Amino acid sequence: MDQKELREWEAKCIQEEPPACRAGCPLNVDARAFVLSMARGDLDAARAVLEKSMPLAAVTARLCEAPCEVYCIRKDLGGAIAVGGLERLCIRETSPKGKIPRLPARPRKVAVIGSGPSSLTVAFDLARKGHPISVYHLGEKPGGWLRGLDESILPQSVLDAELQRLGSLHVTFVAVPALDAALIEAHPADAVYVGQDDTIAPDLLDLLTPPDPETMALERPGWFTGGLAGREFRFISAVSQGREAAVSIDRFLQNASLTSSRVPLRDGRTDLFTQTFGIEPVERVVPSGQGGFTRDEAVREAGRCIDCQCLECVKHCVYLAEHGGYPKSYARRVFNNSAIVQGMRQANTFINSCSMCGQCETLCPNDFSMADMCLDARREMVNLNRMPPSAHWFALEEMRSAKDAQAALIRHAPGASASDAIFFPGCQLAGIRPEQTLRLYDRLLEIEPRTGIWLDCCAAPAHWAGRQEEFVAILSEMEKIWSGMGRPMVVTACSTCLKMFREHLPAFGAVSVWTLLSESGVQASSTGRPLALSDPCTSRHDAQTRDAVRSLLARLGQPLAELPMSGELTECCGFGGLMDNANPALARKVAQARVAQSEADFLTYCAMCREQLSRTGKPVLHILDLLFPETARPAQEPPAGISARRVNRRRLKDELLARHGLDRGPKEPWEDVRLVVSGEVAAMLEERRILEDDVRRVLFAASKGGRVLRHAGDGRIIAASRLGEVTFWVEYREGEDGYEILKAWSHRMRITGGDL
Amino acid sequence: MSLVFIPEDMDWVCEPCGERLQPGKVELTYLGNAFHVELPVCPKCGAVYIYEELALGRIHEVEQLLEDK
Repeated sequence: MDQKELREWEAKCIQEEPPACRAGCPLNVDARAFVLSMARGDLDAARAVLEKSMPLAAVTARLCEAPCEVYCIRKDLGGAIAVGGLERLCIRETSPKGKIPRLPARPRKVAVIGSGPSSLTVAFDLARKGHPISVYHLGEKPGGWLRGLDESILPQSVLDAELQRLGSLHVTFVAVPALDAALIEAHPADAVYVGQDDTIAPDLLDLLTPPDPETMALERPGWFTGGLAGREFRFISAVSQGREAAVSIDRFLQNASLTSSRVPLRDGRTDLFTQTFGIEPVERVVPSGQGGFTRDEAVREAGRCIDCQCLECVKHCVYLAEHGGYPKSYARRVFNNSAIVQGMRQANTFINSCSMCGQCETLCPNDFSMADMCLDARREMVNLNRMPPSAHWFALEEMRSAKDAQAALIRHAPGASASDAIFFPGCQLAGIRPEQTLRLYDRLLEIEPRTGIWLDCCAAPAHWAGRQEEFVAILSEMEKIWSGMGRPMVVTACSTCLKMFREHLPAFGAVSVWTLLSESGVQASSTGRPLALSDPCTSRHDAQTRDAVRSLLARLGQPLAELPMSGELTECCGFGGLMDNANPALARKVAQARVAQSEADFLTYCAMCREQLSRTGKPVLHILDLLFPETARPAQEPPAGISARRVNRRRLKDELLARHGLDRGPKEPWEDVRLVVSGEVAAMLEERRILEDDVRRVLFAASKGGRVLRHAGDGRIIAASRLGEVTFWVEYREGEDGYEILKAWSHRMRITGGDL
Repeated sequence: MSLVFIPEDMDWVCEPCGERLQPGKVELTYLGNAFHVELPVCPKCGAVYIYEELALGRIHEVEQLLEDK
């Protein structure tokens, strides 16, 4: 990912857009943070938020007309949050934070004519930047019309204190008899601000043309104005114009452009999306007394804040929530990971943990796709030889094994010399439900006798792992094999295979077996009890298959329990994108979160979903359990596991070949090594990703004169073999029924000179 | 850097050498990095024993670190 791509990704995620209240504040006060602090009862933190953006906060917070309330998302759900009332309570109950910081002094002088709110804002903003300011005011004390306010609204002592703070920023107040043109001539300055929210003499007013509405600059260079009459919110509009004028004056004094890269007022405009569905209306808290909210009332009123955020994707995705950020921040993580030259790449596991299920893209108002971002990052890692070798190793090995001579097969139907269709069950259905795969094939042969069979893997693991070169090579090989069969229509029972073929091998004209069955009918019966139908994530954009499955189930009379995140919004089981390989603990969490969404037993039409979801202990049926009751497996059945999947694929190939009077040819020499594996050890092997086949190979090598270690005390034996990139160690005893496996472990590190 | 990794139970005999394992110098490599450590070794044939705790603990940790480097 380069800088430009980072910016493009970042721009898609709107989570950092301001909430409506902040966008509606002409001073850019973070009203959301303010209100949330109030809701926590942390009034000091709330005041700090106000002081960060407000000039003379003790005055501004008391008089602010809270235009933000117009934009508040809560307004139709019980009424906008009473931000104005909260501001007044907060400012009454707390003290100023301390000294206002001032930048180093600058040489050029500013004359501020008038001392109304706009003028005081100009003085405050520019004095903090180090400019020497003279404020010319009428009367004994500065403040203009603020001096005429009732004590209950603005105590004079508060105004005096704020002006004193202003004085500490090197603002000089000069009492003058008239705010007129002569005043400016008598006191030359580098820039002049005329605050029209004070009593300006007619001769000076006559000199003022209408200012530029964005910069508040007058035609005469170095002259600025604000505090114009006729705006909706008299006080806060004046302060806002003062602030815009101050920005311009600061730029003018530095000979910078008044307009370039200037951030315009948002007037409530924001791209932040906030979902209000499901948010209950709560009525505004009405202050009990005349003086506004009490502290308790304020905390309650602030508690109504929705805390506007988008987070549409994060709310539904365990993976996105797990890493504590949101796509925009994740884009930066991915970028930093790729930009790092020396040191640890902290985001490797993060990048490899995305299930690439596409739910975020569907939920996002801007179609941000974590899948695309992570896939790009993975491809880059592979290309730069930075992909951790262990990240996807197991799945890639499984893919290669499903494609090898022991498991892969392509044949026309027995007795047929050509195929009109070819059944591609998918490597996981073949590995997890071999008998049902055969039964399904038999049903397809009834529908179309010239249906061939193709046992293979669609190469999705290579795609997900970012191994583009290997993926493309496999696709090209598969296209050749398929052409050699006469280019039959490919019928698959796996949503992932279907997606891969449709996207990468469109010539296959791949269709879902469930669509075919729904058109041909089945004779089966329902379980009677409602089941939660979990669509595989790879069917997200395949409404045709999802509808076919529902129509099949409707014909069986199978009632369905409600599962909100279904169809286009469905969730991954934790296997997709090879999450289970790179981050097994997270994959378990994802599966747990999924099955917790319904009390009902689950039903799916993806073999791997069945495998992953059933690992949680949740009863899960595969649709074939309903369609072919004679082959049904109980919903409570544990998953097949990694070892059985390998054996099952070989057996399925044997059975299919036997129908042609053929066999698989020479078996692997280790294939029949007999193992005794307790449930506990089987679980250990599964968790450590050690196949019983691996154990067989280690033991076979040891039995053929390999070196072993024997325990001098109790006779336990340890053998080891390097199989590809991994060294496997097995501890066992020799027994009459075979090798009793006690434990096994592995590592990738090499021992110079060999292991055992 | 020399690190010593010897399991509590050293009562293992190499077959067919018939020798009891003893601490010995071993070189481990991963992704182009080499480490010199002391592990249980057959004094006759030099066969190395990487015990379970070491493989799942320190070795796994170092493998992960090197993969992310």
